[in-house]
Amino acid sequence: MKVTIKEWNAVAAWRWDMPDDDVCGICRNPYDSTCSKCKFPGDECPLLLGECNHSFHMHCIFSWLRQESSQEKCPMCRQPFKSKSQDAPALESQPRGQDTTATPV
Amino acid sequence: MFASKRLSKELSKLHDKLPPGISLICADDLKEWLMDIRVIDTNPLYQDEVYRLKFVFSQSYPIEAPEVVFVKDDEHPIPWHPHIYSNGIICLDLLDRQGWSPVHNVESVCVSLQSMLTSNTKKERPPGDENFVKYNKQRPRDISFVFHDNQV
Repeated sequence: MKVTIKEWNAVAAWRWDMPDDDVCGICRNPYDSTCSKCKFPGDECPLLLGECNHSFHMHCIFSWLRQESSQEKCPMCRQPFKSKSQDAPALESQPRGQDTTATPV
Repeated sequence: MFASKRLSKELSKLHDKLPPGISLICADDLKEWLMDIRVIDTNPLYQDEVYRLKFVFSQSYPIEAPEVVFVKDDEHPIPWHPHIYSNGIICLDLLDRQGWSPVHNVESVCVSLQSMLTSNTKKERPPGDENFVKYNKQRPRDISFVFHDNQV
């Protein structure tokens, strides 16, 4: 018998390499979902891991760090929040958290 | 926009389960909620009393702290505490700009206030209460409290 495949559809799933049931402490949405402002998860709404090992949606943590009252501290542990990823641009150079390309964790 | 999504999330969780002594009274919109708290242990200062808290959220919640005050009516007094003014304004670092963190939420604020009462033994108002209540026109969030007392 000879089978001819006429058509096939590939389906793939992705997720951030993060614990399963964890949510972003700021927006309380799952890491695999988006921050409160974005519509589509993924590269458009990446996560940012801090040197303190606390992670948030990049847009969420930037909204917080832009506030003067945050004193640029991590919302979880109140240590100065520094991005752990070497490729991520320094925080000061982030123009309002838009159009940035921080490396997802 | 930020606030409404996060608040609806908190609300469905609060409907689901609440810590003992804390209840949700009114959350008709995503701007202002009423919560009741009760001290669980046998602290004689707070026996058989229920206190009502009003939460007011800004559009930027939880990046900005909510405004939280005790409200007084026939059934709900203002609890005695050296950090709670008789008009219901609360002096607590986590509600202040410098002490707030966006990982706090309505439930954690209620629990903190509950434990602040539980551990208190003084039937006192903050120093200068009478004048503060008489003359303060500022909203709680705009008052700069000085946090000097770590004992209570």
